[in-house]
Amino acid sequence: MRTIDTRGQQCPAPLIETRRALKETRTGESFKVLTDNRNSLNNITRFLKDNMTEFTVDESNGVWTLTIIKKTAEMIQQNTDEYCTVEIPHLTKSDFIVAFTSDKMGRGDDELGNLLMINFIKAVKDLEVLPSRMVFYNSGVKLGSSDSPLFEHLQIIEKMGVELLFCATCVNYYSLEDKIKIGTLSNMYEIVQTMASASNIVKP
Amino acid sequence: MVEAGGCSAKIPPKQLEEILRMIPVPEDPDILVGTETHDDAGVYRISNDLAMVVTTDFFPPVCSDPYEFGQIAAANAISDVYAMGGTPVIALNIVMFPAARLPIEVYSDILRGGSDKAAEAGVKIIGGHTIDDFPPKYGLAVVGYVHPEKIITNAGARPGDTLILTKPLGMGIILAGQRLGLTDHDEVSEVKKYMMLLNKNGAEIMKKHGILCATDITGFGLAGHVLKMAKASGVSLHLNMALVPLIGNAYRLADQGCLPGVSFRNLEFADPDTQFANGLDYNLKMIAFDAQTSGGLLMCVPENKTESVLSDLHKAGLPDSAVIGNVSEKVDKYLMISN
Repeated sequence: MRTIDTRGQQCPAPLIETRRALKETRTGESFKVLTDNRNSLNNITRFLKDNMTEFTVDESNGVWTLTIIKKTAEMIQQNTDEYCTVEIPHLTKSDFIVAFTSDKMGRGDDELGNLLMINFIKAVKDLEVLPSRMVFYNSGVKLGSSDSPLFEHLQIIEKMGVELLFCATCVNYYSLEDKIKIGTLSNMYEIVQTMASASNIVKP
Repeated sequence: MVEAGGCSAKIPPKQLEEILRMIPVPEDPDILVGTETHDDAGVYRISNDLAMVVTTDFFPPVCSDPYEFGQIAAANAISDVYAMGGTPVIALNIVMFPAARLPIEVYSDILRGGSDKAAEAGVKIIGGHTIDDFPPKYGLAVVGYVHPEKIITNAGARPGDTLILTKPLGMGIILAGQRLGLTDHDEVSEVKKYMMLLNKNGAEIMKKHGILCATDITGFGLAGHVLKMAKASGVSLHLNMALVPLIGNAYRLADQGCLPGVSFRNLEFADPDTQFANGLDYNLKMIAFDAQTSGGLLMCVPENKTESVLSDLHKAGLPDSAVIGNVSEKVDKYLMISN
């Protein structure tokens, strides 16, 4: 069994190590964490309880040994059945950007364009490597409106660390000043700078 | 300079509450705000149209640059006067400094930082007190004034109000991440920028719109301060963590488990009075308890004023200001957190 020795480490380092190990461990498998810091022990056990993760603690000579069991998928499923939130995975960012020039994807039938755009943004969320920024201009700004069907998805993408820039002139033009509640309002200079310094620009 | 936890260097809230309960404040009709509502500052009436706002705050370094530390500590101490609707005027330096262990320039840089930030707030530092101690600590005792009928307290939240927060969260997490080498330089500069930012403009906008209820967010975290407000006002406050602006990679750091111990103590304090929504994202939950140093103002704004207050805040150099929740009649728990 893998053992993570956090003795001598100050908080929150032991918790960080525990969390990393929990992510790396396969479901159904166990690992041990050693700590000699009571505060860290309390924080780790609170974290495990909050995340419904099974564990046992043994103490000897001022060192606590936690044995942590990563639950199987079915067990977690049971607990999260009624949960409605989307899990926000831990991902990395790259220096490519996405430019939304319209609220529709491609040219052709508008209804199809809307549908494709929804699928596109949902797919961005699942990318292994996220864009560093997403810029929205012309009718693209409508995607970020609080009544857009994509609002929640964009909100999550922002929480994942992607910067969302909305062209302020466009937001004003479409009278969306009160409805853009995510990202930041940006000017043409910043948009040009963002696009000019990106390694790649993806346009849906 | 050694860095420590800023406002996270507080005594655990649960313990503090127990101790303060044993030391009653003397009866005096001129004490307009005392300790019982756990507000940001004390308010004492001098005459029918004048009351004093008094407060103090000091802590060990939160960053390695002494000049910046001085500014942060001063901005943080003065903030309590702003949160009460007061105008800060004078202050005293409170310093603990190990003269034998650190160069004396560090001492003067801290004081210079404090003095420059005080000047920006229109506050005159007219004295102070230093003792020898390690690690260094710095802060101010601040005096301000307010009209007794225009005090902004944490006890005035009314059902239907919206909650507006003026600075993003994540200071504690990022500072902890910095100590472990998990953050980049830009992110730390961003945190320092927010910590040095006075709550002056936010306070002026509150006065302009006649806001009655606010607090500043510091060591007990957003949820801790919001809970104190809910209890003092006898209502329930609802926080939607999905709407709360975050600094830099605070979410990613929280997801890695970079959660300072003080967050767990804050959580323990609030736990009995809080209902966490089913499926609440764990990282956002812990961010709600992240101790802030010199955090933003949280104000209760009548719904019909929300838009104009928000737009004024955005124009006044507080572009991160956002509606993050609302107030209802007291339900089962004082604090409801969802996302």
